[in-house]
Amino acid sequence: MQLRSKAPPAKAANTRRRLMAASCALLSAGAARSQEPSAAPAHSGLLEDWSVDSALAYYHENGRVTAIEPVVDVSKVFADGQSLNLNATFDALSGASPNGALPSHSPQTFTSPSGKAGHVYTIAPGQLPADPHYSDARFAFGGDWTKPLTRVDALSIGGKFSVEDDFVSVTVNASIAHDFNDKNTTLSFGLFNEFDSLHPVGDTPVPGSNFTSLVREGGKTKDGVGALLGITQVMTRNWLSEFNLSVDRFKGYMNDPYKITSIIDSAGNTTGYEFESRPDQRTRKSAYWENRVAWCSQVSTALSLRYMSDDWAVRSDTAQLHLRWSLSNRERYIEPTFRWYRQTAANFYTPFILDTAKQSTGFESADSRLSAFHALTYGVKYAQKLPGFGGRAESEFSVRAEYYQETFNEHVPVPAGLQGLDLYPSLKAILVQFGWRF
Amino acid sequence: MLDEALIVEARGEHLLAVKFAAMASPCEVLLPLMSRPAALAIGMVAAQEAWRVEKKYSRYRDDSVTAWIHDNRGTTIEVDQETASLLDFASQCFDLSGGLFDITSGVLRRAWTFDGSDRIPEAAAIEPLLRLVGFGKLQWHSPYLLLPAGMELDFGGIGKEYAVDRAYDLLAARDGNPFLVNFGGDLRANRAPAHGPWQIGIERPDTERDATMLLDLEHGALATSGDSRRYLLKNGIRYGHVLNPLTGWPVSRSPRSVTVAASSCTEAGLLATMALLQGDRAQAFLDEQGVRYWLLQ
Amino acid sequence: MKIGRSSFLCLVAGAALVSGCSSLGVKPWQRDVLAREEMRLDANPLDAAIDDHLYFSKEASSGGRSFAGGGCGCN
Repeated sequence: MQLRSKAPPAKAANTRRRLMAASCALLSAGAARSQEPSAAPAHSGLLEDWSVDSALAYYHENGRVTAIEPVVDVSKVFADGQSLNLNATFDALSGASPNGALPSHSPQTFTSPSGKAGHVYTIAPGQLPADPHYSDARFAFGGDWTKPLTRVDALSIGGKFSVEDDFVSVTVNASIAHDFNDKNTTLSFGLFNEFDSLHPVGDTPVPGSNFTSLVREGGKTKDGVGALLGITQVMTRNWLSEFNLSVDRFKGYMNDPYKITSIIDSAGNTTGYEFESRPDQRTRKSAYWENRVAWCSQVSTALSLRYMSDDWAVRSDTAQLHLRWSLSNRERYIEPTFRWYRQTAANFYTPFILDTAKQSTGFESADSRLSAFHALTYGVKYAQKLPGFGGRAESEFSVRAEYYQETFNEHVPVPAGLQGLDLYPSLKAILVQFGWRF
Repeated sequence: MLDEALIVEARGEHLLAVKFAAMASPCEVLLPLMSRPAALAIGMVAAQEAWRVEKKYSRYRDDSVTAWIHDNRGTTIEVDQETASLLDFASQCFDLSGGLFDITSGVLRRAWTFDGSDRIPEAAAIEPLLRLVGFGKLQWHSPYLLLPAGMELDFGGIGKEYAVDRAYDLLAARDGNPFLVNFGGDLRANRAPAHGPWQIGIERPDTERDATMLLDLEHGALATSGDSRRYLLKNGIRYGHVLNPLTGWPVSRSPRSVTVAASSCTEAGLLATMALLQGDRAQAFLDEQGVRYWLLQ
Repeated sequence: MKIGRSSFLCLVAGAALVSGCSSLGVKPWQRDVLAREEMRLDANPLDAAIDDHLYFSKEASSGGRSFAGGGCGCN
């Protein structure tokens, strides 16, 4: 057999020398007999078998709503492959919530349904009318259970329950997933059913009725069903792709009971308001495509695209990109993100009603969330692995900040009297979130 | 259960072999011709040391030090001097190999069953186990050890070679007579017997050509790392049992087996394992180390 | 620019491309990169949940990656 030794390069020789030294140290340590194993009690760390993910988010809109939202999520994988996930969310909102009315050259006075009944607030000329007494507290919890049925099939069942001052929502969902092609392809199909019940503060106004009307109805409900068909495909060693098609239909009370629409005359003066009126059914379809690519050991990206269209004539496009840059041998990472969103207006969206149009006979809403706008989000996240505690191997701390801005596309001709008013002020918001996973 | 029996038989014209079973491997001590009682006495020293190391560090036994360490996860414990030396050694190997040699990587075996079948686990099964791997995650300040919950120590990667060296030291301290200690293919000899060098056969399974390759050893150690007995076979691709602790996946494109010669069995075993973990760089790595080696691709 | 059927058709074409790929994929021992934390489709579930809640309350769209229900009264 040929001898292959030749003078090794300096670094390699160093490795070998260090290994030789290490082996010598080991073998010269002598054969000391081991101690008798002590009967020290075993100590198990808190939630040792459960992984915990928690976050605290702070959200603030310029001059409008502020929210604090702590979230906790725990999950466990069992020996037979079943897994259980439980989560709880609490969010507290306060601030000024736009009520749908248009800014005016004159002060405007409204009675607030939020909080104490009969609360009155006045909006200065040129300001976007918003209820400053808006506050809400919400508590939600949910769970998901996944069970492998065969080596290539799994069933998931889950539910969510959410309760706030004036709104209760219960959702159940189930899905099955099937792997094939050497587990390179996964096909999944899921269904969900949501039941919402709302009992607005100050009771439900009659849709389309005048703001001064005192007629009220009781609590309302709406019901939604939906399906999602998805395929996940491993494209290459570094590229994973997911494509989903989904459809859902909601029926029932679809209005926002607190939103009103300004009635203006041909000169642009606000002469009154009426409560919004939306169709009692909405069907949406969407297609979603996500690609995750690892470009090198430090850099990976996640790009997702979504197209949505519904029978209210709203169509939207969304594109989001995350870029993760791992540092220090993957002990930490920094992840900037960018999102672009654009939607068209619902066919019954109107920023105001001209009183010459008489009593509105059809559906109408001035809710800016049904208008045409585009939105940009710029964000960055930083995460760092930390040593474990309480017997756990490691933990991760993260901090994330995002800036979200909505810019409304004005395309409705306005009467001359409304010139000089910023009728659709941009929404600017920041989100700051701290996260801890262990 | 250890079958604590020794068998003495002739090996060729010039040698005696004292055979026994330990660490799930056939073990033997090769000696020049001598009386059976003398051979048994020498063989017994080696066998008892092998059984002692096995009992002490086996992960299959409730009364081993490994089991005791696992029972005390999450608490700081004080280990004995021998265990401390092994942990120091494992720590240095972890540093030298850039994290590829890691005695905490045993938990990954929960996802992998190397039984010759085609059952390859998916990423979701491996990822949670990877969080429990990493020698850097345990706290080791000799002699105090804190092993976090969920993590495991497995001395199997260095145990057999360490036992060979320990048995060698005990036999070498008795007298200067030549001997060769061989535990399942990891072996070490002090000097060649009178009739010529030790002739070592290296198994080359699954090849049509030479079933065994013979090489001559005067003194020193040989250790082999490889996949010949434990593997998975999927779509005709054979998948070795040596897992990369940084990814949780078997090392790709590594040689099927690596045999390295060095002055101690522990050193040879580490070099062979580290070479295997280099994947397709195995040969380049071994060339850089300047050691004698034999690869089976 | 109209958001029209062209966007939807592009996405449907993407679906066809993806679903027609039974020859795509990797061998089992090539899954090391895919095993990385950031290559999981649900890599940061809490971030996604908080973002989804924010966008649901400000926009007319929801879902896509997961079920489209709202589950809260914020829209």
